Amino acid sequence: MVKIICVTGGKGGTGKTLIAVNLATLFKNHGFNVLLVDGDVENPNTYLLMNGKLENSSEVSFFEPKIDEAKCTKCGLCAENCISHALLYIKDAIPIPILNVCSGCKLCYKICPTEAIIADSRVIGLIYSTKVNNIDLLIGELKPSEARSTVIVKVLMEKIDILLNDKHDKYDIIIFDTAPGAHCDVEELIQKADYVIPVTEPTRFGRLDLLRIIELIDLLNKEYRVIVNRSSLLGFRDQFLNELNDNDIQVLGDIPLDEDIVKSYCIGVPLMDNHSRFDTQGKGYKSFQIIYENLTKWSDMKT
Amino acid sequence: MERHENMKRKIVAVISGKGGVGKTSLTASLSTLGSDDSNINPIVLDCDVDAPNLALILTPKRKEQIHSEDVFATLKANLIEERCIQCKECIDNHFCEFNALRWLEDNQIPEIDYLACEGCGACKVLCPEHAFEIKSVKSGEIISYETIFQFPLIYGKTRLGSTTSGKLVADVKQFAQNLREFQASNIILIDGPPGIGCPVISAISGVDYVITITEPTPSGLHDLIRTIELVEQFNIDFGIVINKADLESPFQEKFKHLIEETGYNILGKINFDLSIPEAMSYAKPVVNYAPNSSASISIMEIYDRLKNQLWNHQ
Repeated sequence: MVKIICVTGGKGGTGKTLIAVNLATLFKNHGFNVLLVDGDVENPNTYLLMNGKLENSSEVSFFEPKIDEAKCTKCGLCAENCISHALLYIKDAIPIPILNVCSGCKLCYKICPTEAIIADSRVIGLIYSTKVNNIDLLIGELKPSEARSTVIVKVLMEKIDILLNDKHDKYDIIIFDTAPGAHCDVEELIQKADYVIPVTEPTRFGRLDLLRIIELIDLLNKEYRVIVNRSSLLGFRDQFLNELNDNDIQVLGDIPLDEDIVKSYCIGVPLMDNHSRFDTQGKGYKSFQIIYENLTKWSDMKT
Repeated sequence: MERHENMKRKIVAVISGKGGVGKTSLTASLSTLGSDDSNINPIVLDCDVDAPNLALILTPKRKEQIHSEDVFATLKANLIEERCIQCKECIDNHFCEFNALRWLEDNQIPEIDYLACEGCGACKVLCPEHAFEIKSVKSGEIISYETIFQFPLIYGKTRLGSTTSGKLVADVKQFAQNLREFQASNIILIDGPPGIGCPVISAISGVDYVITITEPTPSGLHDLIRTIELVEQFNIDFGIVINKADLESPFQEKFKHLIEETGYNILGKINFDLSIPEAMSYAKPVVNYAPNSSASISIMEIYDRLKNQLWNHQ
């Protein structure tokens, strides 16, 4: 059975992508077939941390109403029923679509008595499917100035569903990297996961955002364990870990500040890559090994 | 401090693309600099409605004066069961584009998936028996108070699972305009959400100036470029702040080169400085916690340059 792990975190910049990429690399190192899914469609960064390229793309389209002026009787029924006010209608004039507020419900297209509304579409983003370092990568990317990121996340999820149904033995493990925040894009991904890993840091902001994402994870009834990144920051590690412990929040591991991590991040070679030549005795390297061990136990992955 | 003639109220949004690069820390410091300055009278908005953090630093002057109100901006469909004649047309004719309608075989009625429902009203209009209605549900809350720094803070907080971050951001901005302090204020500072999607678009719409903050890493650069692409499409004047500007990394050279090549307006650079996380751990803006630190000096320069861009640079 393929297992789905979702790396998320509430707060931005806590190290979600770094951790998702390195966990994918560790599973690959141990001989598993891994799919890494970049669900931070507003700013997908996974491939940058692996020196990958965006290739093999498919388009994600979104409904756009177009008015056939010859057929339009200027009755205004479409505008009257459009809850998002995406059709501007002035009496006896042809309605004007206001595309940036259109929800894509197609109601106008369905109810127009003279079939004067054409269901057109525009590309709002792309899905890339590529392979880097023997890890399959599925990346969603929203076009700047488009608002409907969730549409792209949903297409990603449909692709996962197809994989799970048709080729359920192709992957042993699927890892999601989510956007920051606790909105619907994040929710969609958590909902599909078996194991959720919120990443945080030992700061006031980190703590508050962690509690919020845990609230969402609880709402969705999922199991989670926390990773504390930059744990050595200002010497707050023990205090922070104790606090989590006092609140019955289970911890998968912590990652201290480490120069090798910054370097790996900036040159686009995962720290845990077999050929990365980073110091295998380094603080960051060792902490990832511990996290991997704890994760395989938790998720019952036989190595 | 130089005097600005014909000062006009300006709305400034701090955004970043990539999360965790210092939006909130910068906004907090810019706001207290503004309140110490004559004539500026800032109003500060935290529009990162998914993870509002500014209130941790800009704390209330009097707890009992915190104002909080629920916002009902989310629309959701609801089934009026007694009207449903179980014709199943809603499913068979695919009323819902968001797949929020499912047929319950046991009860022979449709069920609404509230998470998927966009409240578009298609089911309500299309159902021949009028068995659906659209209701407003709580999408979050707006909290406002006077901070210990004597200016108002307003922030929004989404209700988890309510799907309307962008709308709540717009509501927070609207709320600010109705404040008593609004008329005398010359700057509305917005701490924006990360990303480039709906809440960000909502946060920057109608603003006069955008500060986009980044760090010299591949992800930082990548997200900065996408943010600029968005801001340029909206035709908003912007300046870049580079945080952790002296980060020791093999990417530095490439970053500097690319940024310089573009000719974009750099509003300032902030070198890595432990006084920033330290200030945060004491719940203070860094310019108040350590005014002589290198970070604070850089932020004061950014503040002066910002003022210059807003009021002298026509």
